[in-house]
Amino acid sequence: MAKEIMQRKASDNVYLHKDFHGALSNGIQFVHDTYGAEAVRQYLRQFVAAFYAPLKAEIKRRGLAALKDHFEKMYRAEGGVIHITCSDDELRLEVEACPAVMHMRQHGYKIAELFYETTKTVNEALCDGTPFAAELIQYDDANGHSIQRFYRRKQS
Amino acid sequence: MIACTDFIPAYSELFKFLEKQGGKAKVVEFWNYLSDNFLGNLRDLAAKHGLRGCWMYWSRTLNEEAADFTMELDEELGELQFQMHKCPSKGRLLEFRHIEPYPDYCEHCDVLYRRVLEPLGLDYRIDLSHCDEARCTGVIRRKKQ
Repeated sequence: MAKEIMQRKASDNVYLHKDFHGALSNGIQFVHDTYGAEAVRQYLRQFVAAFYAPLKAEIKRRGLAALKDHFEKMYRAEGGVIHITCSDDELRLEVEACPAVMHMRQHGYKIAELFYETTKTVNEALCDGTPFAAELIQYDDANGHSIQRFYRRKQS
Repeated sequence: MIACTDFIPAYSELFKFLEKQGGKAKVVEFWNYLSDNFLGNLRDLAAKHGLRGCWMYWSRTLNEEAADFTMELDEELGELQFQMHKCPSKGRLLEFRHIEPYPDYCEHCDVLYRRVLEPLGLDYRIDLSHCDEARCTGVIRRKKQ
């Protein structure tokens, strides 16, 4: 039988491996089972503070428009349908169905009980240290449909 | 949602978080957990098709990850070799200037896959000596009867 060879350059493909959502879900479940729910939130805050530091700097510089650009790019890449309204003081994002949840459901990956924290806590942590705050108004575990809101904090 | 394109830094930060909580042993415990709970697709393919199942699995995942690689399957010899010329995961971690990768990041590839393949009669070896340059090589061989 002949030898088979596959050779690829990075530029041959688009970087989009949705199975990673399943791996993250397993990570969240492991932290939850091992250290509890607050540890999941602590981990996600640590991740956001480290990796999204440039995005947080953009939010401080450009306001909610930076978040709007971030979400539009992210959901476009993953094929998610979203509706955004954005002003200087408020951004409202509706996600028809979360691409991560839909991928995991289609492929039989277990979805962590606290998977919604990748939206709720991540959004809150993105706003830490900025003039804005975040709230998760609605979230459906079945398909990840959500309504997310970001708004300017009242000055005390 | 965290984008799947942002998963690798999330993964690296998870390893750091776990090591801080419970030492390296907790990180390895997680890799074992992930291998058992997440790699069913590889396990099923390798159990059903042997080395060709491994070829099928990595043909999909490495293309989706836009890896720069060469993979060679020689079923007569009972061997699947791979050369990762530039690992998309480690490569990304090294490119980010604002985060520090988990120092033993690449070890997960040894633990996760060995745990799936060796019970199925496949010997799995990976050389991570160049992982600081996002390069590695490996070979999976059918174990002799």
